[in-house]
Amino acid sequence: MQDIRLRAGAAAFLSLAAFGSITGAAIVFIWWLVFSHPLTVVKKMRMVIPAIILIGFFGFILELTGGGGFSYCLRMTVIVLIGAWMYIGYREGEFLSLGTWLLGKEIGFDLGMIAEMGMQSLELMVSDLSRIRQAQELKGTRRGLRNIVPAGSILIHGALRRADETAELMAVRGYTHGGSYCPKFQTSGRDLIAGLAALCMGIIAFIPVSEFFILYH
Amino acid sequence: MKVSLAGVRAVRGDWSLSAEGTFGEGIHLVSGDVGSGKSTLALLLAGLFPQISGTVEREGIATTMIAFQFPEFHVTGPDLERECMAWGVDPAPVLAAAGLTGRMEEDPLNLSRGELKRLILACMLARDHDLLILDEPFSSLDCTEKERLCTTLSGRKRGITIIFTHEQTHLPRINRIWEIAGGMLSDRGQLPSALGHWDHAPAVVKNLIARGKIPANISQADLLEAACRT
Repeated sequence: MQDIRLRAGAAAFLSLAAFGSITGAAIVFIWWLVFSHPLTVVKKMRMVIPAIILIGFFGFILELTGGGGFSYCLRMTVIVLIGAWMYIGYREGEFLSLGTWLLGKEIGFDLGMIAEMGMQSLELMVSDLSRIRQAQELKGTRRGLRNIVPAGSILIHGALRRADETAELMAVRGYTHGGSYCPKFQTSGRDLIAGLAALCMGIIAFIPVSEFFILYH
Repeated sequence: MKVSLAGVRAVRGDWSLSAEGTFGEGIHLVSGDVGSGKSTLALLLAGLFPQISGTVEREGIATTMIAFQFPEFHVTGPDLERECMAWGVDPAPVLAAAGLTGRMEEDPLNLSRGELKRLILACMLARDHDLLILDEPFSSLDCTEKERLCTTLSGRKRGITIIFTHEQTHLPRINRIWEIAGGMLSDRGQLPSALGHWDHAPAVVKNLIARGKIPANISQADLLEAACRT
């Protein structure tokens, strides 16, 4: 999807539908298979598989301890897949466009800019993580859960430091709030079809199956 | 002991770096503009960057270590003592060498970048690596620490040390100069003959050469000796 308005709207709606029930998750998964180019998503966003494995692990623990883990696992997996689809379609500046279009040049611009900074920070964190892994490898540290904690601390610490420095620089340069920006969007026919399909599937997911068929008859 | 690059080419998007040459025992200095590919070459020599073509051969090298520009990447310990232990070194002397005596229980990520750099370099230099690659080792260090690092590096008796840096003032005694320009690594040769065609030479070196006072090497002491030469 080229149009960020449709992509963000579809992602939010589908995530809610998937979170709501297992039926919703199944329907959203079908949408993901049809409209997201699944192989491209998994190839470009390799963290998807480890993330799903982690969710599976916690789901298993939840199932053993209190139940509901299986449902949690399925619903969260679909949400992660939708998130991955949303993420790989990102093009620089589009959250600023979305924010400004949605909420105007004051609060919308600010929120859009925060989202853009967040995305940039994520990209930096991915490259930092690769360096951290290399450094750990050379240090002779084995890969495993024990090393996730220091790696996570370094990433969070680095992100906070960068955010702090960026904020100071912006303040020094006179930024207070809002800004002038004219967003432009490109909407293809496929975008509209995928958006409409997401809407339909979301509605189906929210209406209980029995009521849907009663309405139909 | 040597690292040989033959027809090596690394590619990142539209950008590429070609490298050819042999890094033998001693201290090598690699200079180049920002974005020229110094860090990529450092990763490539450490075996951490997949070159697209050519071969990187390491002969007689059992241990390799690379110091990244940002020391945070190396941290694995929750406090300074355990950080040193993670490097396999005795904490007390290493912390003393880094000027961090009595701070064993501090979180490494709470140190200033300069302090952390000192700690990581001290841990690395406390062990004897066959191939030691230092990417911008002087960044975040003050003049005193830069000079101290130069003395330590100049004192390395064995192994291959490759320094990638922009530093113009504080440099150790080195054996060979390399430069990266236009996506290509060039061997400028051994010192002092390499100084004459070193494009990224510090202004003071260029100045001395222009006055006919060719320094024997590029450490502060060598430059001072050349400047005072009559």
